[in-house]
This record gives sequence, structure tokens and C-alpha cells, in this order.
Amino acid sequence: MTMSGGVAPPTFAEVEAGPLKGSTKPERVGSGWGRRILTVFAVLVYLYLFAPLINIIVYTFNKPVGRYNLTWQAFTLSNWADPFKDKELTDAFLRSLQVAAISVTIAVIMGSMIAIALARYRFTGNKMTEIFLVLPLTTPEIVLGASLYQLFLGRNVTLGFSTVVIAHIMFCVSFVALTVKARVRGFDWTLEDAAMDLGASPIRTFWKITFPLIVPGILAAALLSFALSLDDYIITDFTKGEFATFPIQVNNQFRVSFPPQVNVLATIVLVVSVLLLVLTSVRGDRSSVTTR
Amino acid sequence: MANRVTRRQFMTRTGLALGGIALGPQLLAACSSDSKDSASGGDSGKGSNDIWFDNWTLYIDKPNDELYGKGGTLDEFQKASGLKIKYTEGYNDNNEYFAKIQPLLSKGDPIGPNIIAPTFWMAGRLIGLGWLEKLPLSKIPNAKNLVTSLQKPPSDPTGEYSLPWQSGVAGIAYNQKVTGRELKSMDDLWDPAFKGKIGVLTEMRDTIGLIAMSLGTDLDKPTYQNFQPAFAKLEEEVQNGQIRQFTGNDYVKDLSQGNFAACIGWSGDIVQIQKDNPDIRFAVPESGGTLWYDTMVIPKGAQDLDAVAKWMDYVYDPVNAARITAAVQYIPTVAGVQDELRKMGGDAAALADSQLLFPDATTLANLQSWGNLSESEEQKFDEEFARISGS
Amino acid sequence: MAKNATDDDRGLRKSRFAPYGLLSPGVIWLLLFFLVPVVMLFKASLSTKPSRFAEPQFDWDWSNFSSAFSQYGSVFVRSFVFAGVATILAILIGYPLAYWIATQGGRFKNLLIGLVVVPFFTSYLIRTIAWTSLLQDENFIVSFLRIFMGQDFRILATPAAVIGGLTYNFMSFMILPIYVSLEKIDFRLTEAAGDLYGSPWTAFRKVVFPLSLPGVFAGSLLVFIPAAGDYLNNRYLGSPQTSMIGTVVQNKFLVQFDYPQAAALSIVLMVIITVLVLVYSRFMGTEGLAV
Repeated sequence: MTMSGGVAPPTFAEVEAGPLKGSTKPERVGSGWGRRILTVFAVLVYLYLFAPLINIIVYTFNKPVGRYNLTWQAFTLSNWADPFKDKELTDAFLRSLQVAAISVTIAVIMGSMIAIALARYRFTGNKMTEIFLVLPLTTPEIVLGASLYQLFLGRNVTLGFSTVVIAHIMFCVSFVALTVKARVRGFDWTLEDAAMDLGASPIRTFWKITFPLIVPGILAAALLSFALSLDDYIITDFTKGEFATFPIQVNNQFRVSFPPQVNVLATIVLVVSVLLLVLTSVRGDRSSVTTR
Repeated sequence: MANRVTRRQFMTRTGLALGGIALGPQLLAACSSDSKDSASGGDSGKGSNDIWFDNWTLYIDKPNDELYGKGGTLDEFQKASGLKIKYTEGYNDNNEYFAKIQPLLSKGDPIGPNIIAPTFWMAGRLIGLGWLEKLPLSKIPNAKNLVTSLQKPPSDPTGEYSLPWQSGVAGIAYNQKVTGRELKSMDDLWDPAFKGKIGVLTEMRDTIGLIAMSLGTDLDKPTYQNFQPAFAKLEEEVQNGQIRQFTGNDYVKDLSQGNFAACIGWSGDIVQIQKDNPDIRFAVPESGGTLWYDTMVIPKGAQDLDAVAKWMDYVYDPVNAARITAAVQYIPTVAGVQDELRKMGGDAAALADSQLLFPDATTLANLQSWGNLSESEEQKFDEEFARISGS
Repeated sequence: MAKNATDDDRGLRKSRFAPYGLLSPGVIWLLLFFLVPVVMLFKASLSTKPSRFAEPQFDWDWSNFSSAFSQYGSVFVRSFVFAGVATILAILIGYPLAYWIATQGGRFKNLLIGLVVVPFFTSYLIRTIAWTSLLQDENFIVSFLRIFMGQDFRILATPAAVIGGLTYNFMSFMILPIYVSLEKIDFRLTEAAGDLYGSPWTAFRKVVFPLSLPGVFAGSLLVFIPAAGDYLNNRYLGSPQTSMIGTVVQNKFLVQFDYPQAAALSIVLMVIITVLVLVYSRFMGTEGLAV
């Protein structure tokens, strides 16, 4: 059983020579000197990636003078003592979570179905569907947002929670479909045949064989979609009407204030996601030896 | 993305994840039914409330940082009248709010709130479009307390559609420590020493108004033709890098941070910020400042007009108006507030002497308000301003 | 990527209804909320509004397109230049990092690549605001740079700041695809190449880099396309002179209510991006976003 993405099973000679593709330790890639420079560069890039995050976290401990938490004044823990102090902000935060949860759930279901159809069946329109799926990803967000705005206005639909969810589902479906399809491509469908030969019904086969093996791809797509949805600004800006998600509320409020609670809430999300990441990757790494 | 995991771990992880995804929405849906009634983000109606007032942020007193805190205007009103009021701060920007309500009002559908707070020119636009109800003035006896300077203004010539809420002045705000000197005129803003450290407002009428006045043009009968020199001047200062950015109220942070040496700003903001940063000053330019005001209006199709009348009557009582003024520190539009503030004593009494809240006759003479713009003229002004400001 | 005939076809079913059944919910959703709106947008771009707040009338009015070019040509150019520079910077910064994780990550590869994605879990907007805090005139970064660049130096409200913001915000989209394509490479090839060519750099240039091109291609698209239409970075980090096409479209829609003009600008943006992408893919000699 191979999971390494559409590769032929190794011949005897290759197995003799060494383990499968992608698992070879690249021993001497470049000189030792070059490797060290690269490592330094990598550390700098990580610093760059995390610089604003560090700033965000540091400023959760700031006691701002005035309404903008952007200049360091004094250390305080009071923001953490009362992270939900700003009601509008907290409500918007919860709404962001709601939108993301609902959108991602629906998008994951629809997207995975598309992925399975594309990867597993030969049918007319296969290629066209793939191209069609890619289109939303190659369209700038502003066009997606603006066109939805036009659509909803024209149909007299009130902009609000449902329109935002509709929009989020739209941009997540393509993403999920393509991500899951990439994972599903390496799947050995003969396993299903084997199961059914052994007497399992198609449904049982799916749930017991197929589904568990493609689930990591689905989960990865779901997590990334969740992040995309939480993060989204531009498309939400056009489809929101009066409704405010967290980033929208922050931007609205930015005219008059930027309270420390914004950073606190953002840090909470950050910490939770890092924990999730560490948990899953540690468990994954530890069991990377077994293959069943 | 681990791809070699034991079966059991798969199932556990899958189960957890799916469980989370399944339960999550339920949990959050439960939270949503609470949040729906509160913030402006909910798209439900005013519910069991008699009044829904959608206003700007920081525009009413908040005892102990709570809107309906004891002793606050909203709380006192509810006790005194027995009516229930829902107060939200969803009015962030005139154009943004207009975009929200336009789809509904243009088709004759009512919007949620029955009082909203457009700035005078937006009120003028709404009146022109016929999207407002007439105020039940017969039920608002205290409307007679409206200051004379704001009675029957150009944006509402019959005075039947709007009652001003708060008023303010746009002028020069500057950081004394950065400029090193006092600023007195618009030409100070164009001082090459401050290159790249000047900000102006996204509020077209305040920015162009101040510049126009510095070039000798009056604001009472504005035409696109007359204001060409003002636009040209603005464009010049943007192109040569003198003006760094166009801002909303967030210029206060740029002033404090030192990003701006000076900018066009609003009196009420400066009063509030001076407490924290005494280096920040405000000056009405010698050539004149703009006087603006926000209003209370009733959108078409709103219900419970009697309740609305009670609220407006309540806030036009100088005693209550004074309480609001003491908190928001903008220029009150109700006569008699100055005396009431003195009676309140303490910090409030000090406000009674503030030039920024109660400009004396000479300062007032130096302030102008915008005349009304027709729809097509306004469009030309807006487009030209958007072009210059790079949007 | 070896195209192995047996693998692709193995077990592929030919079923009359199953694939269409599986496809339909998602595809119908996209038809309704992607294709139809874009078509309607195109229709709106050919309309005129009798007055500012009235409904647009569809009348094959192409003038919106001509004014899109004549009035906003420079804004388009600026947007594409900014997005292009951001893409190049993202490649220059992101590729080495992806390479490092793929080759030296070892046991911690998953964790390391996950760390690249973590910044995404704070909001895009809040990250950008954090940059305004870091790069403000009186903060340590700018003060330090002023030693070399003079007292008038500033970062915020300059094109550099906007490009920097664009590069930063989409960096993860560049690193991930490159990493994925690097990860698939059998590095015994580079060893062999290193032996043949005698220098690790040449081995990289002739073997590794070409194999990673699909990832670079995918990453470039995922950075360039959103960057070209962005307006948030310009709003917080820019000045009136760094205005991008996204800023104009947003303003035209939500402030000026000039839907026809805004729609025309959006369509032009989309068309130009599609053309640029096609040219780029010809140049790269690869196909699609196959990752």
C-alpha cells in the first residue's frame, strides 16, 4: 500500500537500494557551510513571519493611554483579566467562529464529494470540472465580493449572516475539493474491491476503508478553510450588510479605537491553533513508523 | 501532514474532529441567540424595544463603561418614561451606513432602527430622496431649546426632519512637541518643515471646506466651479508629498505616535485626547473653521413615533443634554447646557468654560457651515475628492 | 511527477450517476454563487445609471471600459507592479525556507511547516495593524534605520510598506506549495547529480529547482492574484499615492455607488490577471495548479 502520491510500487532493485521516495534523508545537500547559512536564513524568515504575532502578544500586556493600543506604555495583566470586556468585539468574534464553523462544515462535505468524484470516476466533463474549480481561486477576492454584492442586491436579498456564510462556502469549496483531491489521488482503489469481494456492502466499504484513509486530507483542508474563513475580510466586506465578523468589527472600530482586547482575542485563537498543531504533528511524528 | 498513523489514531482523531465540527455550530448557535438581540451585527428587529437608536461610537455617556449603567442617560430615560430603548453604535461612517440602508429604503422597506444619526449633509441627502419621516414635533416641546444657529439649517430648511444631536468644529489639530510652535493658519499645514507629516480627513466637507476658506471661498453656496481652486490646492499638496494620509477619527493615534505633526481634526476628539496627552492642541484656522453637526432622524417606515418623540424630548432637556455633553465633550446643540454644566460642578463645570465646547462670539464668527449640495453637484465633489485621495 | 498509467486508471469506475451525484451540490453552489454573479457583474459593467442612487440600466454601454483604462490605467499598472514585486520577494524569501524545511527539517518537518501556517490563524487585518505598530515613526525599527537613512526616513505610508505588507500577508501561500513539491523530490537524485556535476549549486540549479517549479508556479499565483486586488494593505500602510485598484473598486462600489464603473474595473482586473497567468504558465512550461 503506497501513500506517497501516485507512485509505482518499488521494484526489487529499488527496495534493495533504499526506502521510498520522499523518505530519503538528503544527506549531503550542499556543503556544511552552505547548510549553516541556510539555517540562519531560515531562522530569520521565521522571525519575520512571527514578528507581528510577537507584537500582538506583547501588546496584550500593554496599558494604552487613550483609545489606541499601538504604542507601548506600561505593563499590565488587566487585559487578560477581562478579555471579553468589549461586548461588540466579543460578539463579532463569536460570529466569526459561527460563520467559519458552518461554512467549513458545508464546504468540506461538498468539496470532499467533488474530490472523490474527480479522483475516482472517469466521466465526461472531468477535465472541465477541474478547470471550473480552479477559477474561483484565480479570481481576485474583490471581484468575488463585488459580484456577490451585485447578485444579492439585484435579488433583494438582505445582506447579513446568511450572505456571508454563502460567500465563505463558495470560496472554501474549491479549496477543499482541490486539496482533498490531491490527497485522494494516491489512494489504492483495489482495497475497496478487496473489501467488497470479502462481502462488505459499498456503504460499509466506504465508511470502514475509504473514508478513514482520506480523512487526514479532509481534516487538513478543513483546518485551512477554517483559517481562511476566520481571516477573510474583502469578500465579507462586500456581503455583510450590517453584520460584522471579527475583522470587520476591528476595522469599523479602528476609526475610534483599537482596544487591547482585540489582541487578546487574536492571541487566544493563535494559542489554540498552535496547540492543535503541536498535538497533531507530535502524534503524527511519533507514529510515522507504522503504516497501517 | 502526517500520512502514516495507526488506524486507531485515525478513528480517534476523526471522531474528535467531526464531533467538534458537529457540536461546534450548536454551541455557537446557542451563543448567537443571545448576541442577536444586542449588537448591531444582528439582523433582527428591535424586538420588544420601543426605540432603537443606532448612533456613532462614543457619543453618549457610559457610566462605568457600560451603556446602560446606573445614572446614565439611557438608564434614566428608561426609568423616567417606562419605555425600552435599544442603543447601538453601528453608525461608523455616513457612506457605509448609506450603502447599508439604500437597498431597503429605495424599495420602500423599513430598516431596523427608528432613529439614526447621519451627519447634516447625509441628512440632507436622505431628505432629498424622501427616505425620512417627519418628526412628530408637536410631541417634542423641548425642541424649542435648539440653539438658534442650528434652526432651519440648509440641509433641512423646514426643520421638520432632523434634530441635531451633537455639534463640533473641524480645525487644525497638532502635536506641539513635534511642530515646536503654535499653528494658526492653513498655511502652517503646508510648511515644508512638516513635509510628509500632515494628515487630512476623509470627510470631504471638512477638508475641502477648510482649504476653500483659506483661499477666500465661502461655504454657504458651494458649486463645483467655485471650489476648483480648493481641489487644485489639495491635489498639489498630495502630489508633493506634504500630505501623508487621509484619515477618519484615527488621526488621534497618528498625532500621538508622531506620524503626524499636524492634521485637520475635530474639536471633540482633541478635548478627549488632551487629558492623556497635553501636547496635543487644537486651533481654529484664522481663515475659518467648519461647523458641523450630527442629527437624529427617523427613517421612513419606522414605527413607534410617539416613543421616539419622548426620547428626543428627553435629550433636549438641558439637564439631560448637559449630562451627555459632560461625557462626550462635543458642542451641545441644546440651549442652557452651559449653565447646567456649571451646576454639576467639578470636571463638568470646567467644561463650561472651554472654548472648544462653547466658542465665544469671535470664534463663532469665524466658523462656517456648508450649504446644501444637489445630488449631481455632490457626486462631482465626491468623485473629485475620491480621485485626489487615491481611492 | 511520474504519470503512471496503471495507477491513475486502477480502480477508476465508470458509473452512470455516481460521479454526477457527488459533484452536483458543490458544482451547483459554484455555478450559483460564482459564475452567475460574475456574469451579472459583466452585465452591470455595461450599464448606465440615470442618477446616482437609481438602478443601473443595462444598455451595452462600453464607455465604462474605456474610462477604466484612461482614468485608472496608472492605478492598474501600480497594482500589478506592487503585486509582482511582492511575488518575487515572496519567492526569494520563501523558497529558501521551504528548501530548508524539506532538506534539514527531519523529524520536525510537519511542525516546521505548520509553524509557517500559524500566522494565518490571527486575522489578516490584525497582522497588518501590528505592522503599523512595529513600523511607526517613533518605534525602534524606524529609529534604527534613521541612523543610516536620515531623520526624514519613514517606512509607513510608502510603496515599500505596502509591498512589504503584501509580501508578508501572502508569504505562507508561497512557502506551502514550494515545500510540497520539494518534499516529493528524491534527494538521491541530487546526490547523483552532485557527483556528476561536481558542485551542489549546479545540482540544485539543474535538478532540484526545475523539479520544484510546479510549486513555485502555484505559489506565485496564490500570491500575485490576491495581492493585485488587495486594498487593506494600502489602507493601513499606504498613502494616497500608493492607491491600488482594489481601493478604487471598493470606493466606487460602497461610497460612490457607481456600480457600472466599479464592475467594469473588476472585470478588467480579472481579464488582465487571466492573461498574465496564461503568459506566465507558457513561460514556466507547466500545467495548472497540479500539486
